[in-house]
Amino acid sequence: MANRHNLLNGPEPAEFRQKLKIIIIVILVAFSILLVRLWYLQVIKGDDLKQRSENNSIRFRKIMPLRGLVMDRNRHVIVDNRPSFDVLYMPSRGKNPDRLVEKIKELYSRRSLEFSYDQPFSRQMKPYLPVRLEKNVSMEKIALIETNSLDLPGIYIDVSPVRLYLDGETIAPIIGYTGEISKEELEKDDEYASGDIIGKHGVEKFLDPYIRGSRGAELVEVNAYGKEIKNLGRIDPISGYNIVLNIEADLQKTAWEAFEGRSGAAVALDPRNGAVLAMVSSPSFDPNLFNSGVSGEQWNKIANNPLTPLTNRAISGQYPPGSTYKMIVAAAALEEGIITPDTKFACDGSYQFGNRIFRCWQKKGHGHVSLHRALVESCDVYFYNVGRMLGVDKIAHYAKLFGLGGTTGIDLPNEKSGLIPTKQWKLTKMKQVWQPGETISISIGQGFDLVTPLQLVSSYSALANGGTLWQPQLVKSVETVEGKVYKEFLPEQKGKLSLKKETIDLLGSALWGVVNEPGGTGKAAQRPNADVCGKTGTSQVVGLPENEKSRRMKKIGVLQRDHALFVCFAPLKNPEIAVAVIVENAGHGGAVAAPIARKILDAYFEGKKKIKQPQEAVSSQPAGSVQQ
Amino acid sequence: MLFFKFDRRIFQYFDWTLLALVLGICAIGIINIYSAVFSLNEKQIPLYLKQVQWVLLGSFFMMVVFLIDYRVISEGAYVIYGISVALLVVVFLYGYTANGSQRWIALGSFSFQPSELMKLTIILALARYFDDHKSNEPYTLKELVIPFLMIMLPFLLILKQPDLGTALIIIIVFASIVFFIGVNWKSVAIVFAGGLMLMPLGWHFLKDYQRDRLITFLNPENDPLGTGYHIIQSMIAIGSGGILGKGFLKGSQTQLKFLPEQQTDFVFSVFAEEWGFIGALFLFILFMSLIFWGLKIALHSRDLLGTLIAFGITALISWEIFINAGMVLGILPVVGIPLPFLSYGGSAMIVLLTAIGLLMNVSVRRLILQR
Repeated sequence: MANRHNLLNGPEPAEFRQKLKIIIIVILVAFSILLVRLWYLQVIKGDDLKQRSENNSIRFRKIMPLRGLVMDRNRHVIVDNRPSFDVLYMPSRGKNPDRLVEKIKELYSRRSLEFSYDQPFSRQMKPYLPVRLEKNVSMEKIALIETNSLDLPGIYIDVSPVRLYLDGETIAPIIGYTGEISKEELEKDDEYASGDIIGKHGVEKFLDPYIRGSRGAELVEVNAYGKEIKNLGRIDPISGYNIVLNIEADLQKTAWEAFEGRSGAAVALDPRNGAVLAMVSSPSFDPNLFNSGVSGEQWNKIANNPLTPLTNRAISGQYPPGSTYKMIVAAAALEEGIITPDTKFACDGSYQFGNRIFRCWQKKGHGHVSLHRALVESCDVYFYNVGRMLGVDKIAHYAKLFGLGGTTGIDLPNEKSGLIPTKQWKLTKMKQVWQPGETISISIGQGFDLVTPLQLVSSYSALANGGTLWQPQLVKSVETVEGKVYKEFLPEQKGKLSLKKETIDLLGSALWGVVNEPGGTGKAAQRPNADVCGKTGTSQVVGLPENEKSRRMKKIGVLQRDHALFVCFAPLKNPEIAVAVIVENAGHGGAVAAPIARKILDAYFEGKKKIKQPQEAVSSQPAGSVQQ
Repeated sequence: MLFFKFDRRIFQYFDWTLLALVLGICAIGIINIYSAVFSLNEKQIPLYLKQVQWVLLGSFFMMVVFLIDYRVISEGAYVIYGISVALLVVVFLYGYTANGSQRWIALGSFSFQPSELMKLTIILALARYFDDHKSNEPYTLKELVIPFLMIMLPFLLILKQPDLGTALIIIIVFASIVFFIGVNWKSVAIVFAGGLMLMPLGWHFLKDYQRDRLITFLNPENDPLGTGYHIIQSMIAIGSGGILGKGFLKGSQTQLKFLPEQQTDFVFSVFAEEWGFIGALFLFILFMSLIFWGLKIALHSRDLLGTLIAFGITALISWEIFINAGMVLGILPVVGIPLPFLSYGGSAMIVLLTAIGLLMNVSVRRLILQR
């Protein structure tokens, strides 16, 4: 093989020719295999696969998870899910949507049904992004669409779960509602995708991460009419967690009904741990309207209503506390040693400060009153004196200890912090020096003072339980679908008031007197065999000159009338419930707000009796088995 | 030295057939990419225009490589090899990641994939090595240790990216060249037995997604939502083309974007859907002609170096065609090898056209050197 390479270093062709033969055979075999396979796919199975590609298309479909249920503390379901049947249009499946809509309209009109979709179709519809034409349609419409599906290519019925708010408007501003995610919301959180349904308000919003569950997906083959032929694979969605609220549904309902349509808010707390037993905001709205796709007109009616039904007044409504604030001023004065229980001031119906006259609500005056009577009869002049002696900053200090002037931290969105003014505040915010006269207004909860109903009931709860400021909690626990506790919200202490025992006892007995003693302003809340303690309040909406106020009372407009307030707790010893009620523009607290509080208390104590009995019946069974 | 010495004869003997074949296939590729991305609403330069750029740029390199005698180029084979390995190390250290693997180096607004370059470089280096170490007897295992190490270095670097397809191609091209140059069959048997024993170990080193692909290849319907989706959609696309195809821009699988990576690895599905069995057959005939033409150049080269370069390049192109078509047709696992001249991709296109330049180089000089 010396001649393997020639002079030019070229290979001996014969040597490689042999190899090349093998290589050529390999290449021919390889191409043959490819061609045979191609023949098999394109010619033998061609028609099959052609049908699969032309008549059938495969698409991904998101499967929305079921949102978690919302229940009250007794596991009565407040928010459930129900199927909603929607009419959808898939651009890739049917051309000319305008003609399809015409056809649907015609089908509907034969049964005198109305078709609500009237927006023009966009020129740039994505072929696989369905357009929702009608939401939550009736069975009659479903039947019409389904039976005529051959004439309506691209139109199909889709079932999706929607919220069913069983307790409707009684708790709507607290629970909130759901809706399709907005662009801004999408940008904030990448857990979400467009088209997702998310909580827009209230509990639905605040607990959305728990409630929403996680999406599933499905790969389905659909035919030319958008009908599913075959399911190729599926990842199941995971339902959201169920929410158990501290709310007691019966109490909630009673409280709502007690408002009889008047505007205002009521909150009932358990002073022992801050659990929210009831929370009413009136006026309310029908949250089920949002499911069925509210029309623009309906939405505007709700959103632009001057009475703001969407707002949860219990946490977002800020009102001057009026005379309910006197408890705080009294506590401050006692603690600071400015007054003793026996300190008396004379009230002749008015109080002069400089050249201004501040009036007591009781024109003829209260005479010489001590702290107890001043609270029972809500004597303004008494507190003008005390407030002046305390000064605005001392009052503010105690108000803040009671949790006023800052958010309570309740598990709801959009809580307002109210306002407790100080000298420094006025200087910073308004660039003005505090006027001593303003302290006079502050001492009866007027002027700059603003509180939310929740803050108010929370502060009285702190007094009721001997000085512990609990964080109000709406949510008791988060549970799995199977009912196992996933997360429990234990009571959280927000602060501790180190009030002297005498102060607490003294205020307690005075508040008892407000409801139970002759001359008390809160008599309407009196219950037989129950020691209700409370404080009335009437807060001015507009600062009318004091001397003109009573004269013009009957002439001013509804929205300028006073708010009626009542805060209470019961019983005096070991209180179990604290309630704050505010009725807007309704007049005197004792006359309007106290009766509502009374109804809530009645429902609470009667409900307790009812619950106790069946519980005992149930618990007797295992006890019996132990005896054996 | 024939460096830069202009020789009129290189035009006289210019391999017009090869140029026509390659540019013809490139043209089909561009038309096909036009259709593949037709329904994508892109705001940037459409992909088919970018592919035209790559073909033009590749043709430039093709001409440059063509003008320099391959024996001169071969002088620098190890240097080029060294640079290519260095580039792979750069990728390993600083390369950027896309689709879960680190394959690219950013060059301004472009990105370059050194593993593509390595495919050509390794052929040059191996040709040089075997030309330097001519043997009258079939090579033994011992004599193949150095070339084996030469490919293992880039092989491991590419496998690490991870890019199983390119790594595999490098091994296969090496095996082809070794087979062609002659190897002791006992050695082959030993290596084969060793390889079989190492296979379970190799499985251990595969990335999860690579294992998934192998499993899916064995049973695509098993995982229709995941990896199997590619294969099923590809087979539906090809099969639905039938004998005559659905027509240009009319492939529903393509236009409705059921096909994944339809402009890169699965570009053949687009072609087969729109042009049918007839079109695919025509394309295969073009490919076969190119391969046989390449083999002819290898056979008629005046020296071993030219033969090995021409054979290596032809082997590279052939294997890429077989493996890509095999995987798209569902008879081989999806390993991510582009279809030569048809798949979209700048690095691959430039390197392939440069390789064709080398092939022309060998083709022309065999006639010049005859004198």
